[in-house]
Amino acid sequence: MKTTTNFKAAIILSVMASIMVACSSNKKPIATDTATEVAGSEVDFKIEKSGAQLWGEVCNRCHIAPSPADYNDTDWETISLHMRVRANLTEEEITKIETFLKSAN
Amino acid sequence: MTLIILGLGSSALAQTYNTFEPSKTQFMLRGYGHTGFEYLDTGGEQESTFLGATFAPIFLYKHSDKLMFEAELEFELEGNELKTGLEYADVMYVLNKHMTVRAGKFLLPFGTFMERLHPAWINRLPSRPLGFGHDGIAPASDIGVELRGAFDLGGPKMNYAVYVTNGPRIKDGSEEPEEAGMLDFGYYEDVNLAKALGGRIGLLPLSDSSMEWGISAYTTNSTGAEDSDYKDVGAFLWALDLSYVKSITPLQGVVDIKAQYNSSNVDTATYYEIEDGISEPYSFDNQSSSFYTQLSYRPIMSGSDFIKQLEFVGRYSDFNAPEGAEWEEKSTQYAFGLNYWLSWRSVVKLSYQTTKMEGGHDSDGTTRTNGLFVHWAIGF
Ligand code: HEC
Repeated sequence: MKTTTNFKAAIILSVMASIMVACSSNKKPIATDTATEVAGSEVDFKIEKSGAQLWGEVCNRCHIAPSPADYNDTDWETISLHMRVRANLTEEEITKIETFLKSAN
Repeated sequence: MTLIILGLGSSALAQTYNTFEPSKTQFMLRGYGHTGFEYLDTGGEQESTFLGATFAPIFLYKHSDKLMFEAELEFELEGNELKTGLEYADVMYVLNKHMTVRAGKFLLPFGTFMERLHPAWINRLPSRPLGFGHDGIAPASDIGVELRGAFDLGGPKMNYAVYVTNGPRIKDGSEEPEEAGMLDFGYYEDVNLAKALGGRIGLLPLSDSSMEWGISAYTTNSTGAEDSDYKDVGAFLWALDLSYVKSITPLQGVVDIKAQYNSSNVDTATYYEIEDGISEPYSFDNQSSSFYTQLSYRPIMSGSDFIKQLEFVGRYSDFNAPEGAEWEEKSTQYAFGLNYWLSWRSVVKLSYQTTKMEGGHDSDGTTRTNGLFVHWAIGF
């Protein structure tokens, strides 16, 4: 019983670890064609979403999204850091959303 | 003289102005509370009560753009007693783009219900699904260290969390014989040298972030005290979760689906039952599971201001505790609700819930409990 338990645990945790490693080594956008290289290696070709759109998509996933007017800039900074960690958001998502919230309140 | 006055005036002005500059150190006091009325019919026995208000203040202290502390206290009237609790108290630091470290007492990312959905102003129903909360099988919080972060996969997104904590204690039956073999996740003191290790991976396959799948695991080699017979009783738990939230134009509103499956496997051990003064050993296959799925709908595109604020909710949940245990149980529950949203964080919930329980540690046979709830929750 015990060995099977630990075995299962080891499998699941190693799958998790490998996904993490795979993702971290893969984070550079795939920019092989010349056009992208000219534009700079960090340029991503997907259509960039605006902070407003991300706010609509991301902030409704767990609770109803608050509107920009609900808090002042200082509070949005605190809330953004809190939500970045609690909701496990990407840095890009939260930076754009925070900028939008602070610009529209 | 004029110069001095001018000088003083401008420095006073500068000072006043300065108070409006954002401070690097930021403090927020927030939290939530709820109150309500409940009517319960348990196998023909009725009771009704107004609920004492629950008040949960949350302290957020932002030290810099990377460093933050969060803590939540909980005050609740239980009968005539004021119960207090420290729901969480942890410090977090953003190490880099993809990694944040947290330490202290934190809500565990075992599935999503406890970490993300349980606060009264977020939970769409007044009750928790079966398997969560008191005597539940899913760990809710613990003391330890955690690493978490997220990656953009060029549309889809992935997030992870891995943690090491003190881990649970097994109830050996010496205090509550009818609960022998249950894991006690609310026992925060470490009873042994072994730690619990756990984690969750979340994947958001769609570029609009509407869907998230999560898989969680949690394991420990020992749940008993270092010098006890239960030292080598290990446990392995896993969970699957799903969230789908999308605004659908033909349906004129937002559809929200949540689900979580929890499975708990505790190593087999021998417990003792006292019958007629004689201590009888017994043992059972210590496996439990629980599941819930919830569907809610908010007609936010309706032309009527009243209908826009409404929400319809349905939830199914079940719970299976091991056969042969004193707490053997098979329960299923259906809950239906109608909510009225006063704002994004204040809601009045009306719900009906029916639970069928076979076994359970208070009774044998089948018990049916029907309940009617009106709750008012507010986050602030
Ligand atoms: C993965 C789930 C999840 C997502 C996504 C999410 N939140 Fe939250 N949010 C929570 C939870 C859980 C709480 C309650 C925290 C607590 O009480 O412990 C919360 C609380 C809040 C609060 C109350 C203040 C605070 O910081 O606790 C605000 C404001 C808020 N969220 C805004 C947002 C915004 C803006 C977004 C989009 C960037 C967002 N949330 C995305 C889960 C989420």
